[in-house]
Amino acid sequence: MRILLDKFSKSFGSTKVIEDMNLEVASGEMLALLGPSGCGKSTTLFAVCGIHRPTSGRILFGDRDVTNLPSQERNVGVVFQSYALYPHMTVEENIGFPLMVKRAAAPDIKKQVAAIAALVHIDNLLDRRPSQLSGGQQQRVALARALIRRPDVLLLDEPLANLDAKLRLEMRSEIRRLQRETGITAILVTHDQVEAMSMCDRIAIMKSGEIVQIATPSAMYNDPRTSFVAGFLGNPPISFIKGTAFQGAFVSGDGHLKVPLAALSGISDDTPLTLGVRPEHFGTGGDIAVEGRIVFAETQGRENLYDVALPDGSVLRSIQPVRNDIKPGDQVRWMLGSDAAFIFAENGQRL
Amino acid sequence: MRTSRTLGLFMIAPASIMIFLFFLMPVVLTAIFAMTNMSTATGISGGAWQVTQAAVNRLKTDLPELADGIAEPRFIIDEEGLKELETLKLKPGFAAELRAEHMGEVYPSRREAERVIKALKDRPSTREVKQISDLFNRSVLNTRFETRDELMANLKKLGFDLTPQQQDIVARATYTGWIWTTDNFRIISSSPDMAQIFFNTAFYVSVTLLLFNVGYALFLALTTHYMQASTASVFRAIWLLPRITPVVIYVLLWKWLTWDSGFISTFMSQFGYPPKNYLLDTAYNAWFFVILINGFIGASMGMLVFSSAIKAIPQTQFHASEVDGASRLQQIRYIILPQLRWPILFVTCYQTLSLLASFNEILLSTRGGPGKATEVWSLAAFHTALNNYTGNLEYGLGAAMALVLVVVGIILSLIYLRIFRYDTLISKPLIED
Ligand SMILES: Nc1ncnc2c1ncn2[C@@H]1O[C@H](COP(=O)(O)OP(=O)(O)OP(=O)(O)O)[C@@H](O)[C@H]1O
Ligand SMILES: [Mg+2]
Repeated sequence: MRILLDKFSKSFGSTKVIEDMNLEVASGEMLALLGPSGCGKSTTLFAVCGIHRPTSGRILFGDRDVTNLPSQERNVGVVFQSYALYPHMTVEENIGFPLMVKRAAAPDIKKQVAAIAALVHIDNLLDRRPSQLSGGQQQRVALARALIRRPDVLLLDEPLANLDAKLRLEMRSEIRRLQRETGITAILVTHDQVEAMSMCDRIAIMKSGEIVQIATPSAMYNDPRTSFVAGFLGNPPISFIKGTAFQGAFVSGDGHLKVPLAALSGISDDTPLTLGVRPEHFGTGGDIAVEGRIVFAETQGRENLYDVALPDGSVLRSIQPVRNDIKPGDQVRWMLGSDAAFIFAENGQRL
Repeated sequence: MRTSRTLGLFMIAPASIMIFLFFLMPVVLTAIFAMTNMSTATGISGGAWQVTQAAVNRLKTDLPELADGIAEPRFIIDEEGLKELETLKLKPGFAAELRAEHMGEVYPSRREAERVIKALKDRPSTREVKQISDLFNRSVLNTRFETRDELMANLKKLGFDLTPQQQDIVARATYTGWIWTTDNFRIISSSPDMAQIFFNTAFYVSVTLLLFNVGYALFLALTTHYMQASTASVFRAIWLLPRITPVVIYVLLWKWLTWDSGFISTFMSQFGYPPKNYLLDTAYNAWFFVILINGFIGASMGMLVFSSAIKAIPQTQFHASEVDGASRLQQIRYIILPQLRWPILFVTCYQTLSLLASFNEILLSTRGGPGKATEVWSLAAFHTALNNYTGNLEYGLGAAMALVLVVVGIILSLIYLRIFRYDTLISKPLIED
């Protein structure tokens, strides 16, 4: 079911958290809401599930205006950031709660709970109470509770934050598979960009209550609209160098580095600019030679990560297949791929 | 470890002493008093031996002949009486003739003794006859003996030869001080009055508790929870008023409401009903108001406890349950109430005990009336032991009633703990496997 936020605004008293947000999530799509802490992700989610009434604007599920519909009538499943499990109920009762309040038959509830519990690997914990579970187990109970009623819309507020790395990988694909199979429209709130990129059809990046860019993971990665988006996606992150425009090229602060860029053709000289280079575009391949000194080296198993300090003090990051010939302090001359570099104006807009 | 434990004991010693003095001692003393028949009549120190009419009545069942005998006045012409007569400076012929002719004679009644005296040759005047007969009166009726032996010696002189067993019976029947006894409990368990009071108490406590102290308090807490914060606090403040008003004034307001010249009477007279005292009119009305008076005071505490307990439930649980499709009623039934088990247990326990023990509102409003319709156990204990119409304050019986109250309180608390499954309220340690 399609979700549409139309000029949605939300303020708490005099604090404006979200203003005029427009967002459309297509039916069966999984969208990631990605952004730093406090940018309004949970607030948006709470408006979609009906816990908060919007200050203004409309919310549509399909063609149905649900703006003033209470939560109970929206058929959304929510995994809350703090799990919000019912402490006085067993895991089984927690998961079965949405069916129980719909007055489903007890044996039927039991059967469905068993099935969904097996799916999230907590079928051996059904008799426990939430206080007897680890954080990750609690999160899976919350997920099972959100899924059991086959909601039209699934909202996940950082559902994987408390899982260990292996379980997180497993749950990522599990949630994605479930979502695909059931065709649920889902919104996943996260501040983990890897999670957003690997699980979702599209990503919406938020900053201080606004959606900065909304695109597929690869489009977002390869074609960021602002330096904020470029900086948010990618691990290890992109590196930025400050400089100015000079005759259709980017020139770093001390003039050491000069990168001619097509995007700069119409830009007047001395305009302050920022150059963004992803670590994979700096290293052995490229068209522009950059000299610098290794200040940091780290192996990530298959790849090595190097921080290279340029003469003006700015740092370029490089990721390369493992090699053992370079150590911190070494002077290097590596190549930068100018066609893959991003250039941003002073206000962060990409040129 | 050992030293820290002894240190701990040492540190709590002052508190333990306080607890002993102010909490345990009263109970222990009550228990002790409960095993006696102390009353205004017996006093609380020792007593004497006196053959009162009541004592004679008590003796009638065990020793009927003796009882009849003792009750009779007895006149014996003996040396003791003659000596006294001689010192009276009446005509010496009286004593001489009595000694010579009638020595040792016993007359069962004053009339017979006086007939003999009147017949003396020296012709005593009527006043003298009376005077002389008094000297030979050897009845024990209403004479006070400081010791038991003295009583027994006198009885023997009267010709009652008693076996040691019989002596015991007589001594017990005539003792005027208090004695150790379990009679109080026999009275409590067998008297129909006590049964009525017990029933009154059970009715009063359970109805006030269910309807107001827990029921209405819960209703207030739940409704204010779903109200806007400002409205809710106004509402709560209103319900706190009965609690913070001094009880005398509070009850006076109720009396003003129900008096025959009060609000209800005035209001009802508009519709042609004659004014009357609605409070003490009928037992039904008295109960109605007694329960309202107590309930309005009691509800506020439950309301506060329940409200804060509901506030302590994390907001997200309400959010989650709404999203899960629970209606308000389901939210109350499945999310709030189960998490109020401990506060409800606490309030039920606490209020049961306070309702059992407190009678000031009833004392101030109906005084247990009309008749004894609203007499509850604690008020009855108060009336029995400390304040009653006949003036004979029965400390022993009152203490026994108070003791029954303590025992009932403890039993009820244990039952509550069972019902609310207290053990499951204590959280278990986190187990991982
Ligand atoms: N009930 C509220 N009253 C006032 N301000 C609020 C309220 N709820 C949220 N806010 C504010 O709104 C902003 C957005 O909050 P929100 O919870 O949506 O952030 P978030 O993006 O989910 O952050 P996080 O990743 O840390 O969960 C924050 O600045 C927060 O302080
Ligand atoms: Mg959040």
